[in-house]
Amino acid sequence: MSLYAKMPEHKPEHNEEALSRGMDSPYLPFPGTVERSIRVSEKERFFVVAPSNETLLDYGPGQFFMVGLPGYGEAPISITSGPGEKKIELCIRAVGNLTNAFHRLRKGDRIWIRGPFGRGFDLSALEGRDIVFVAGGIGIVPMRSLLKAVLDKPGRFGRLTLIYGAKTPEEMLFAEEMDGWRRRGLDIQATVDKPDGPWKGHTGLVTALIPKIEMAHMNTVGVIIGPPVMYRFVILSLNARGLGAEDIFVSLERRMKCGVGKCGHCQINSVYVCQCGPVFRLSELKGMPEAF
Amino acid sequence: MEKIPKFKYLPDRALNSLVNGLLREYKVCGTIEKDGFPAFGEVSAADELKLTQSPTHLSAKGFLFPQREVLLRFDMRTSAHVPVIEAERQVLFGLHPCDIRALALMDRIFAHGVPDPNYLFRREHTIVIGADCMPDEYCFCESLGTDDVDEGFDLFLHRTGGGYLVRVGSERGSALLEKYARTREPGKAALKELDAANERRRLAFRAKLDAAPEELPAIYAKSDESRVWERIGAICTGCGSCNNVCPTCYCFDVKDEVGASLAEGERVRTWDGCTLEDFAKVAGGHNFRKTRAERLRHRFNRKFRYLSDTFDSLFCVGCGRCSRSCLVKINIADVTNELIRENAGA
Repeated sequence: MSLYAKMPEHKPEHNEEALSRGMDSPYLPFPGTVERSIRVSEKERFFVVAPSNETLLDYGPGQFFMVGLPGYGEAPISITSGPGEKKIELCIRAVGNLTNAFHRLRKGDRIWIRGPFGRGFDLSALEGRDIVFVAGGIGIVPMRSLLKAVLDKPGRFGRLTLIYGAKTPEEMLFAEEMDGWRRRGLDIQATVDKPDGPWKGHTGLVTALIPKIEMAHMNTVGVIIGPPVMYRFVILSLNARGLGAEDIFVSLERRMKCGVGKCGHCQINSVYVCQCGPVFRLSELKGMPEAF
Repeated sequence: MEKIPKFKYLPDRALNSLVNGLLREYKVCGTIEKDGFPAFGEVSAADELKLTQSPTHLSAKGFLFPQREVLLRFDMRTSAHVPVIEAERQVLFGLHPCDIRALALMDRIFAHGVPDPNYLFRREHTIVIGADCMPDEYCFCESLGTDDVDEGFDLFLHRTGGGYLVRVGSERGSALLEKYARTREPGKAALKELDAANERRRLAFRAKLDAAPEELPAIYAKSDESRVWERIGAICTGCGSCNNVCPTCYCFDVKDEVGASLAEGERVRTWDGCTLEDFAKVAGGHNFRKTRAERLRHRFNRKFRYLSDTFDSLFCVGCGRCSRSCLVKINIADVTNELIRENAGA
């Protein structure tokens, strides 16, 4: 073969052809403008975001976004605003490079969003029932979206109880909103691991409160969102109050890289949490020991 | 009525003219010799293509699902994002039946639910030319029924003395053959030789599964508590080789890379592996598959059980690559047979 054999020239990029044919990339985010950026605890910051695209607002409680910043990547982030609101609210804990970069965002900055993704809460499955919401730590963030959705429909649900546990009173999120929620019919039982001087709520784990709450026999559903370690124990406590696998709803946290059921990180058995979840009826997770 | 494959006969020198013709239009990726081993690589001249009947260490998946792939480009100053969906017109030359089966599974994965345009666009621009093979001690495709294909390729070549019997799998394949190679009708001797070669191949399989493929999902479903997982978990090094070499492992990571000028960057996806420690770890530090035993159980189940719920198909094609490349000799056929035995005993 000649040393000077001419190599054929290939056109390596057909990007324009793909785009002109309307091949939409599911990986392309839409910008949102940060309207408010408020530090709400030592580790969490609350954001109000005006989305550039209406489709971002078409979410239900329990769904999530992939939220990113160029140069830092993306992560799955819970939606904390209620469905139908005109602005997106996020509450983000700083744990890594990306989330620390989110914490540096201020009014007017841009944030990049894909979604909404996944299956959220089916409100019709909760209608007519007493609901016990059990939130641990930042589980209150997605729970707030569900609480707003439920409280917006007075008379459709039975007795509503929120059991909310945090490490310390300072780590309690949305404390300033709780009086409003109470006025709208939510019984709130808050508990902390480490109380300080003025703390008037409970002390100890959320599971200690479950035996004490009032609930209608056979007509109560439980909703659990919290850190991974919390689920097993809360489920047992709810079981003890007569709630079965059909009566308990959970939202599962998982590592996610795509949001569209491809990257594999969120997979439990045959379930991709980003598509089939993150909200599951407990009975749907039967035979999946890795769910919790 | 059984479909009788129609063959054309392609003499060796006509194969060269086919490859040279393809090189004018396409990037040709085929089996080449790399460090003394058969491997998939880009071919720049017909004589570099070395059709081999031996399995390659790596599959050809990287030509459709690259190890590193740009999904987006962004400008760090304006933060404008541009989606990237790139493809080259390419030919994958010399894929064995297991790899053609694997491609068909990858096609289904990336088209399922929210379609992945990056894969699908590249796939659309890809021509597949298969070639026959001989099993080594790790191949067990015959036990899974993936040892032959009658679709999923444009052309398929069977070695016979002095040339190839070619099966045409698509109109595109037929047109290429007509354009670049002079074929003739095969003689009786060549067809007879093919039958003999198929029989030789059938007898050459040493690794076999002791159950029918359709029984495997149920057997795996009953094996969550098997002690096999602890045993292989104890020797697994967690290196992720099995994921990398697997033609149907498609999990990926996504991360941003910023250029040295800090002016622009790319969002790229790279292969990831469920046997790697951090794969199922969340930001708070909790790892949903903490142990190697759990991670291996997950990987094996993905091949034989989990995905069959959605796709009604096994995702192992029996290529034996994971066993072949395993540093500690965990063998997927042996493990599966052990589970089959445990269930037979129960």
